[in-house]
Amino acid sequence: MADFSSGAVLDDDLDLSAAQGRKKARAAAGAKAVSWGGRGLNVAIGVSAVVVVAGLVLWAMQLSGGMVQTGMRNLNSWGLYITSFMFFVGLSAGGLIISSVPKAFGVAGFGGISKVAVMSSIACTVAAIGMVVVDLGQPARLWELFAYSNLGSPLMWDILVLGTYLILSCVYLWAQVRAEAGKVSRTVLRVISVVALVCAVLVHSVTAWIFGLQAGREMWHTALLAPWFVSSALVCGTALVICVAVALRGAGYLKWEQANLVKLAKLLGAFVMVDLYFFGCDLLTEGFPGGSGLEVVAMLTTGPLAPYFWVEIIGCAACAVICFTPALRRGGLLVVGSLLAIAGIFCKRVQLLVGGFQLANLDMPGPLTAMQHPAFDMGLSGIYGPMVYWPTPLEFGVTLGVVALGVLVFLLGVKLLPLRPTDGE
Amino acid sequence: MRYGFAIDTKRCIGCHTCAVACRYENNLPKEVWWNRIMTEGGEYMDIPVGEFPNTRLSYLPVACQHCENPACVKVCPVGATYKDPETGIVRQDYEKCIGCRMCMAACPYTGVRSFNWEEPAYYTGVAFGAADIPVHEKHVVEKCTMCWHRQAKGDQPACIDVCPERARHWGDLDDPESEVSRLIASREYKQLLPEEGTKPSVYYLV
Repeated sequence: MADFSSGAVLDDDLDLSAAQGRKKARAAAGAKAVSWGGRGLNVAIGVSAVVVVAGLVLWAMQLSGGMVQTGMRNLNSWGLYITSFMFFVGLSAGGLIISSVPKAFGVAGFGGISKVAVMSSIACTVAAIGMVVVDLGQPARLWELFAYSNLGSPLMWDILVLGTYLILSCVYLWAQVRAEAGKVSRTVLRVISVVALVCAVLVHSVTAWIFGLQAGREMWHTALLAPWFVSSALVCGTALVICVAVALRGAGYLKWEQANLVKLAKLLGAFVMVDLYFFGCDLLTEGFPGGSGLEVVAMLTTGPLAPYFWVEIIGCAACAVICFTPALRRGGLLVVGSLLAIAGIFCKRVQLLVGGFQLANLDMPGPLTAMQHPAFDMGLSGIYGPMVYWPTPLEFGVTLGVVALGVLVFLLGVKLLPLRPTDGE
Repeated sequence: MRYGFAIDTKRCIGCHTCAVACRYENNLPKEVWWNRIMTEGGEYMDIPVGEFPNTRLSYLPVACQHCENPACVKVCPVGATYKDPETGIVRQDYEKCIGCRMCMAACPYTGVRSFNWEEPAYYTGVAFGAADIPVHEKHVVEKCTMCWHRQAKGDQPACIDVCPERARHWGDLDDPESEVSRLIASREYKQLLPEEGTKPSVYYLV
């Protein structure tokens, strides 16, 4: 659909008779899209709704019984929720960028998956916002963000940009559907796609700055963090679009040419290489002077975060091999490669979040209590020897609930919105 | 005016009296310390570092550093933590705090900010300490207030008066005639993590 030779976008919206005719055809296609999905889809929607409700119950438990039920304490004050927040912000990128780049630059797209890709972005953004909300100690005071905004806070920037991003993604999806019905002109769609693209890059940079601007955490404080977040987002976002598109093709929801899959796979390979290159640059810059940065390198490569580091490196490298070897670029294997890349980027988020707390600036022994760390009775080596943070079952449950919310949004979109490629594509 | 502390590490005996006075004065819930006496030594509290007879042991009372350039104030999305323009004291508004813990991520001084992970509970079962302190709340961030409520009455912070070794001093760092300013001018001192650029208002005399 991103290909501008397709009828829907080429025609001017002033050509009313053509638009009228097309409208009927689209209405029929829309009705077909609405009716798509058999029992499987309904069951999936039901299951995710149940998991969302279970997550809500667990969240209520967390709020009433206290966040003491999580693995977070004063010495590791963020955990799985903020890790997942970073992860889902990243995942949301791919869809929007893959959909908007071809439109913004007027080049050939990836064939018919544009709307589904944006729908995946919307679902991931909803999940990302959900992760921040469940992390808050006082969610009932969320309104204060708008009443007492401290515009100097990177967290405030993120809330503003993320909100804009969600609204913009919805507007963009709506504009694509309307453009196909001849109601939105090609120019307008193109302008919206450029704005959406800029916003997508901003949302990753701003999320990176929540961490990267904190001079007090050695692991986070690097100017590379913002571009690196963009590249990681491109990796897992593209990988997600590949998985979703292959799955929907398998389910008979849309027809998607193998050539477009290969095109996307090559792009994924390139993004993975850029991401690994950034990691290499950062490790060298940290480690080369041999000062305190060497602790970061040791923590990642041989320390408590080593499993996550190596899963990321090996997973991403394997994904690149699959993407770049023509003989390996088959549907199933590309999905495996994409999943490896997504897992790798999740491991990167874990390294980043836990790594920020793993290296204490003041590591002197003093009075330790249950509010400072769950392993307070094990001494400093008991706290910082293994990973400084590990989630509790409650956190896994609440996280699962938020993920299910994202899945629910996506499945409802698939069921109710005309996201299927139209005949012109 | 910029209030700050000068703490004489040569006089500190690691008795925790200032930390206990802080807990009492501010009615701190159980498991919560705003002021902790850290051991500059080995792996555990009160354990010296080195091999006998060349061992070394000293103490460092650590609480909020009331920085002139506070990392926490910059990042708070709602301005719940802010610097009082008159006194330079970094304050925390419990009623405004949304519990995002961004300040805890930004503060380089490990563990000085404390989140109430559960409903505040007390060993005594009753509230103690000063009558005019703000009520502790679940799921908000707290820290040393420099005994804001006592200053309103013209008193020093609670940790100052009780020090049996007179190791702790408090006053106006901008007034060259104040006791803290004279101590800092006449003695060698160090500050915690000066490389972070936070300009802490706590001086450790060495």
